[in-house]
Amino acid sequence: MTTELCRSCGSCGFPMRTPDDHAGGDPDAEYCSTCAEASGTLKPYDEVVQANADYLVREQGVDLHAARTMARALLASMPAWQGRR
Amino acid sequence: MTPQAATTQRALQRETTRRQLVAAGLRVVAKEGFAGASTAAIARATGKAHGTVFLHFRTRDALVAELVAEVGRAMSNRLAELEREAPTLANVLDAHLRALADHEVLYARVLCEATTLPAAARAQVFALQSGIASRLRRAYARARARGEVRDIGSVVLANIWISLTNHYLMNRDLFAPGASVISKCGSALKAQLLELIRP
Ligand SMILES: [Zn+2]
Repeated sequence: MTTELCRSCGSCGFPMRTPDDHAGGDPDAEYCSTCAEASGTLKPYDEVVQANADYLVREQGVDLHAARTMARALLASMPAWQGRR
Repeated sequence: MTPQAATTQRALQRETTRRQLVAAGLRVVAKEGFAGASTAAIARATGKAHGTVFLHFRTRDALVAELVAEVGRAMSNRLAELEREAPTLANVLDAHLRALADHEVLYARVLCEATTLPAAARAQVFALQSGIASRLRRAYARARARGEVRDIGSVVLANIWISLTNHYLMNRDLFAPGASVISKCGSALKAQLLELIRP
């Protein structure tokens, strides 16, 4: 089942399909436009947690505090934030 | 063999073993659920020593999170295949149903056991759901602008659709014994949702 049709953001796992999904619109960028600056540099951890939590709140109405906890758990499993809480 | 070639070969071998573990993990989960997917059972399914698992995944939780992530990636890819400029709500629902149908057995396992899965794995489920919800929101906004649907709010719309499909998936043995519940009920669910938001 392993498929490599599109790359996932190394920070949040978001599947990046279009160049715009990548930081700075650069298809070679490792991180998505939410997690990294246009230069491709990863944003600070707390900012990335907040952006990922906001996404859960906006799309599914998850409680903000629960969304932050969930975002931290998700990030901890990603290459960029391995083991971080 | 040059030292570089040996290093490359070791890296390839490592990646192959990792993929075998993930594939075996998914087979075990499909059959036994996550509760039955011990690291020992997964190692057994690959014919490798139990310790091999931990050369690739620090803990069982890390392996479980990777299994759920793998299901999520496969479903996201399936959804993305149908991407077009401005999909209608029906297009988005169809794409989601196809992604669910392709991964029905595994995804139903994920949903049934979601609250007992490691936090990272449960977060993967919600990340995937956000992907669906965000597509629905954009298609819904376009339909709203054209006056084709009534205003129930995009979060409500997404949550109705997600809970509806999740309910059928989690109880697939009751709604479609021995068959694909998405193949059997998917188009009716889609029609019901579209009917619900008609102006
Ligand atoms: Zn990201």
